[in-house]
Amino acid sequence: MEKVNITINGRKISATAGSTILRAAQQAGIDIPTLCNHPALTPIGVCRICLVEVKGMPALQPSCTSLVIEGMEVQTETPPLVEARKFILDMLFSERNHFCMYCEMSGNCELQNLGYRYGLDHWVYPTYTRRFPIDATHRHLLLEHNRCVLCRRCIRSCSDLTANHTLDLRERGIESMVQADTNVPFGDSSCISCGGCSQVCPTGAIFDKRSAYMGPDKKLEQVQSTCSQCSLGCGMKVFTRADSVVRVEGDWDAAVNGGRLCKKGRFDPLDEERRRVTRPLLRRRGGLEPATWEEALQAVAERMGVARAQDIGVLASSRLTNEALYQLKELFRQGMKVTNVGLLNGAAPKALGKPQGALADIQKSDLILVVGADPVKDQPVASFLVKGSVDRGARLIVVDGKENGLSAFAHQRLEMADLDKAQDMAQRATNPVVLYGPGVPEKAAQSLKKLSPKAAFVALEPGVNTRAAAAFGFDNGFKVPAAKVLYLLLGEQHSGGEDLLKGAPKDAFLVVQASYESPLTLRADAVLPAAIWSEQAGTLTNTEGRLLKINRVLEPRGEAKPDLEIISLLGKKLGKKLAASLDDISARAAQELK
Amino acid sequence: EVNKSGLRGRGGAGFPTGMKWEFTRRAPGEEKFVICNADEGEPGTFKDRLILEGDPHKLIEGMEIAGYAIGSQKGYIYIRGEYDLSIRRMQKAIDQARQSNLLGKNILETGFSFDLEIKKGAGAYVCGEETALIESLEGKRGNPRLKPPYPVTHGLWQKPTLVNNVETLANVPEILFHGSDWFRKFGTEKCPGTKVFTILGHVETPGLIEVEMGTPLREIVFSFGGGVRGGKRFKAALLGGAAGVFLSEALLDVRMDFESLKENKAVLGSGAVLVMNEDASIPDMLLSILKFFAHESCGQCTPCRVGTHQLLDLADQCRQGRGSEVQLERMVNVSKAMVATSLCPLGQSLIMPVKSAVDNFRGDFLNHGNPAGKTPG
Repeated sequence: MEKVNITINGRKISATAGSTILRAAQQAGIDIPTLCNHPALTPIGVCRICLVEVKGMPALQPSCTSLVIEGMEVQTETPPLVEARKFILDMLFSERNHFCMYCEMSGNCELQNLGYRYGLDHWVYPTYTRRFPIDATHRHLLLEHNRCVLCRRCIRSCSDLTANHTLDLRERGIESMVQADTNVPFGDSSCISCGGCSQVCPTGAIFDKRSAYMGPDKKLEQVQSTCSQCSLGCGMKVFTRADSVVRVEGDWDAAVNGGRLCKKGRFDPLDEERRRVTRPLLRRRGGLEPATWEEALQAVAERMGVARAQDIGVLASSRLTNEALYQLKELFRQGMKVTNVGLLNGAAPKALGKPQGALADIQKSDLILVVGADPVKDQPVASFLVKGSVDRGARLIVVDGKENGLSAFAHQRLEMADLDKAQDMAQRATNPVVLYGPGVPEKAAQSLKKLSPKAAFVALEPGVNTRAAAAFGFDNGFKVPAAKVLYLLLGEQHSGGEDLLKGAPKDAFLVVQASYESPLTLRADAVLPAAIWSEQAGTLTNTEGRLLKINRVLEPRGEAKPDLEIISLLGKKLGKKLAASLDDISARAAQELK
Repeated sequence: EVNKSGLRGRGGAGFPTGMKWEFTRRAPGEEKFVICNADEGEPGTFKDRLILEGDPHKLIEGMEIAGYAIGSQKGYIYIRGEYDLSIRRMQKAIDQARQSNLLGKNILETGFSFDLEIKKGAGAYVCGEETALIESLEGKRGNPRLKPPYPVTHGLWQKPTLVNNVETLANVPEILFHGSDWFRKFGTEKCPGTKVFTILGHVETPGLIEVEMGTPLREIVFSFGGGVRGGKRFKAALLGGAAGVFLSEALLDVRMDFESLKENKAVLGSGAVLVMNEDASIPDMLLSILKFFAHESCGQCTPCRVGTHQLLDLADQCRQGRGSEVQLERMVNVSKAMVATSLCPLGQSLIMPVKSAVDNFRGDFLNHGNPAGKTPG
């Protein structure tokens, strides 16, 4: 990598060619103040706080956009620069409502931090002379224009990271305002609630309604984990306080999503309205009654113990971790010789084999072929990457029904019968990417294989940990009628309801392991309370085949236990020898998943 | 020839035209553009209108020559939306030129192709700034871009683009026809040629004049302008439009060219000369100018977006008779800070009217509304 020699504040620094003065300074540990700059967004140099002195240039230069040049001599904190920054902060603080005392972002605000840094302690100029509206129409986000510093981070996040282009500016000069679409209420706009804007906003202009009043970041605990709402496995940071989840943010350093999150990962988990199952339940004398774990597991083990292998059926949700699925396989397929095992949701066609491409290929692609998958609905962050690529000139061809969410952004939409036309176009591209899902018929999948190795293939698996489930043999076709003892591991999944048990023998013993109450738990003979996403540790295999870590954030509610623990305890009751420690199981699972 | 002529931009900045053409010609890239900046947004200026309405073919010729020089085949004339007649006449001239094979493909069988299109502005002074103009042409918000890179290398659609003022381009055909030596016969050593000045305000004969660069201001006001109307006394002249400078009687003998004015802490700008008589109120004038800037600030950068409004408030206080040394000092300081930190020349130019008004007419600010001269308590 080519290096450029510059001097910052008298220090000789070897910077990477093509980087900005700001980047070079940050890498050398020199702190230049910024406001509109954000490492994940394109710099625009409008707040003017990061201005630096460059020898030989009469004008001050914005360090966030100025590229390093060999021999450059930069000063970052001279008295004139400090005066300039104080001026800009005086202007900002007087422009709109920046009374820190009344703001829930106090303590978490980049503008406030700058004020402290430069010793602002009183207003010099007439302040807050213009009133702007507050838009509280959005379900999750509050848009408080009076705290906006017009840094445009939200607009850049919406266009660069999410590629949804909902936010933009309206009016000119002092009347400039962020707007949603053509000045429609935020809640009525094309916003898809990814929350990226709230994550990048430096002040309290856009924030998440729920977490805003729950205290500044320094009072919260932070745990890094992986989202388990879809098969992408976006990296996230979970903030908690007093044993509750307060906020979920995208992890900027995560390879899968680069800081992006969608509504499913950021807001839905905190919006849960279903009731938790917190105690084991057994059906006695016709009704479900609370029981101890000992009693519940004993009852289940007894019924399983006396049944023949072919009478037992195991149906797992793809939400289970690698470890839980591995243990389940060890116990039932290996230990109990049960063959009637299945997965609660379908999988992408096997014909396309092991993963070949990665999500990152979407961003490098000049032609994206989406076949039988709807990421807008099922893996939103993948759809952000697709739309972002289209913005940069990539061609998008969707081979699916009209209702596919990407149809509106596609250059062409074709029916599955015309797949060969799409393949021709992909063949002529330079870096084609094929995103495929469960909607691809096996025959079409065979045909698609012809595009390899030119095209990168990225599966968009339905469910969550579908890849691991398939690898452990849980997609062999489960048959309900065959089972006399049914073990359903629902996890947090919204159950299929009564349909799931159509055809089940009337006297079948139904064991439901779930986190939430549902028609299935009400019908069960034994209910085993399972921990949710934030209450267990383990790993997931995402749709790219990447192994991602989930870390425990909270203690399980009530008497709920992680799926893995329940399976292990059941195994003990059934007299089977199984691996015990989480690390041991993780290692074995990882080994088998290679 | 253009280089030798020493022609300098007539839009206000005065950048050597030949040098700008050279940069654009040398910039790498197959596709290049010529843009004529006919936004004429500077208050008090209507000199370009004269050419757009009265001699449009001269402009077309100038743009074609520029296109030939830099290697461009497409030009745009960005005319302010309010200039209805200019737009119609310019379009008619373009149509006529096309018909006579003086514009379009293979002009006069020379193998050189060049075509022109008119684009209308939509009422933003900031779009007179070349990069904001380009953003506007691209269909985006008229926000100035960060410079570097400059339009000569990264302009319209990030391609090398030459942006010149109407008057600048109108000088080109004459220079080529008569030669650069002829052009240098007019004006001064460093500012050759002629300049179209807009005389307005309290004069007998307001209007447009074309005189040699370096003509003294006194001659412009009293000879061509006919002197102060109704026999009143001269008080001040605002030179260069809103982004201009208040000159007092003391400087009436200054020569009107880029260098002489710079030496006298003044500025030529677009060549507007607004004359004010003894009854005029400098604080009122300044307030009017500041209102203009506050309204026209694009809002991109903090110093200008808020600074223009704080200046407005300070000037208003002076106008209401609450002026004091502290207020004046603050106005100048804010303007200075805006020079240091603003993203584009709009924010950087407030210092000119503010400082010149305060320096040359200090008393007016402190005593406004107080003829007796008592300073407010």
